[in-house]
Amino acid sequence: MISKIVKSGLTRRTFLKSTAVTAMSAGLPGASLAAGNTIKIGFLAPLTGAVAAWGKPGLDGCQIWAARVNAAGGIKLGDGSYNVEFVSYDNEYDPAKARTGATKLIREDGVSFIMMLGGDTWPGVQPVAEKTGMLFSTLLPSDLSPDTNMLIAPAEVHPIYNVTGVEWLAETKPELKTAVMCAQDDALGLPSVATYLAAFEAAGIEMLDEPLLFDPATTDFAPVVTRLISKNPDIVCLDTCYSDYVHPIAEQLFQQGFKGQIISCTADFYDQMIAKTSEDFMEGFVFQFPDFDDPALNGDNINFTDPNGFYEEFNRRHPGQWGAVSWEYASIMDLWKAAAEKAGSASPDAVAAAMKEGKGKHAFGDADWWGTELFGIDNALVGDWPVVAIEKGKARIKDFRSIPAWYAKHGDLLVKHMKAYDQMWDQRS
Amino acid sequence: MLDLLAQTGLNAVYAASYISLVAVGLVLIFGVMGVINFAHGELFMAGAYAIVALYAGLNVPFFLAVAAGLLFVGCLGLLMERALFRPLKDNPLGGLVASIGFLMILQALAVMGFGVRMVHIPPVTQEVIAFSDKVRLPVARLYVIIAAIVLLSALWYFLKRTRFGWALRASAQDPEAAALQGISITQTARVAMFIGAGLAGIAGALTAPLVSVNPHMGHSVIVTAFIVIIVGGVGSLEGAIVASVAYALVHTFVTTFWDGVLADIVGLSLMLVVLIVKPTGLFGSADRA
Repeated sequence: MISKIVKSGLTRRTFLKSTAVTAMSAGLPGASLAAGNTIKIGFLAPLTGAVAAWGKPGLDGCQIWAARVNAAGGIKLGDGSYNVEFVSYDNEYDPAKARTGATKLIREDGVSFIMMLGGDTWPGVQPVAEKTGMLFSTLLPSDLSPDTNMLIAPAEVHPIYNVTGVEWLAETKPELKTAVMCAQDDALGLPSVATYLAAFEAAGIEMLDEPLLFDPATTDFAPVVTRLISKNPDIVCLDTCYSDYVHPIAEQLFQQGFKGQIISCTADFYDQMIAKTSEDFMEGFVFQFPDFDDPALNGDNINFTDPNGFYEEFNRRHPGQWGAVSWEYASIMDLWKAAAEKAGSASPDAVAAAMKEGKGKHAFGDADWWGTELFGIDNALVGDWPVVAIEKGKARIKDFRSIPAWYAKHGDLLVKHMKAYDQMWDQRS
Repeated sequence: MLDLLAQTGLNAVYAASYISLVAVGLVLIFGVMGVINFAHGELFMAGAYAIVALYAGLNVPFFLAVAAGLLFVGCLGLLMERALFRPLKDNPLGGLVASIGFLMILQALAVMGFGVRMVHIPPVTQEVIAFSDKVRLPVARLYVIIAAIVLLSALWYFLKRTRFGWALRASAQDPEAAALQGISITQTARVAMFIGAGLAGIAGALTAPLVSVNPHMGHSVIVTAFIVIIVGGVGSLEGAIVASVAYALVHTFVTTFWDGVLADIVGLSLMLVVLIVKPTGLFGSADRA
């Protein structure tokens, strides 16, 4: 809140942005791509700032994806093969910058598709999407509405998949009866709060307190944690807190003596959390994003090419930087490539139509285009999602759970809580 | 309930400690030089990155790294005084604009040197003083509290009991009269800048293992510091300390008993109420308001 007030009056990061992006670009593969024989894909996400952990690793993953695809002959369309090149724009998780970035990527760079993190930045981009007819993707289906025909959520169904972690926890640890929750007060935090509330209610887990919302500018989490654990909950839920918050909150939970269960949407760089707390403290920490060296990702149900090799290459290029989104944008590109090759064209309309024919090849298994009831449009690809727990210092997939199956049983609870937090598509302005 | 109050009180003392270190430095610079240093939050950030480089990167012992961080950021302050504030001292807005430019440079250097993302710093100590099961003070936070008490006491002694401290206060009250008495205004400005920047630097260095170290971490710190110095009275060291304690108490208790978003609203409302009732702030004087 305060940060937004100040930010609106001080565009002080322009210089920083250009410096950072230049610095990053310097490290990208310098493959020489013949003009006219290249498809450009826009990457419009936060590469700097508090939300960068959900942008920059995704771009790094895309560069690996591009190297793989280009080495294998590129994207085969009706009129020949094309190499793929990513053009990035750092929106700093700011709607106005995202709008500028979208315009630049379309008009100046001539991209065929734009991938976004979404969230607070989508409202800035939506008018550009409507005007140009460009195909966009988001990691946050909560951006979807009946007006977003050209916006798809084909990889991540945030925050709906969070129900799988709670469902699994309730089944495997039935002794856990009570929970508390905290979240940053923004477009990522609030729909996730509603989702976790629905999941806890469906699982019969009692919320001891209203979710504790904090300003995204918060740096000292001791008061937040003191409040959270004051009622002796069995479970502390960290919602979809950014990694910059998850780490200090986990450390505070450790220092203030919490010994219960922690569940969180993400646990990026969990090895650092273990270093700041202990392996014992982090044992059993439940979240939703696997490391891609997980043996469970080598099953026939997985639609991601060589996940273990991808993880190995990512860590070779960016040691210690693997995070929740490292694979997601690359996974979206798998879907986009398949659709473009099926349509024989990279035009946004043709790709969108081809992509939505029949079942979609989601990274974690075949899935359906879904979402009318919740988002007003069937533009989210929803199927199974993994539940991950930390065991002896390493993230391990414990199970794959069906989101549609949970929704079929408890969808009314999700709608109820989404409405209570003004997060339904018809409530969001 | 008593445990909750006690733990919240400890949290507030920690918050007051690092906020007061930052705010007092900001006030000192303004008091002596008449400059609002917008880059003060980035000096806090620079102190934190000194720990990243020395303690986390080169395995320098933590307190040695903190001392080096203080010196490094103090020298950054000297650089700002010489390169930015002195040439622009006759331009009312010049120093402010230059400090905004400098904060961008510091942020960009942090990005180039350490990347855009949060940096991991190994814990200095995981020891916790447990007053009870529910009332615990991590020793790493105790370091910040002790540092604030020692440094602010030393600063008070320096300003009130030493000749150079008197000269510094005289320069702040009436630079022309001080100069006529043979006091070097340039010299006092240098010292004020070194101490003010150093206080921000040591606050950043000591809190680095406890917070998320990133190039933008100075942003929220400077916002809080501005609220505090406006409430305390711009130019008043006592006001900055009292307001830091008041703000930290209010913000921490409201966060714990209501929520963090409301705490921000209450903090800003506190500032507005003080400004309406006493436009110069709690301890401010009309000529500095």
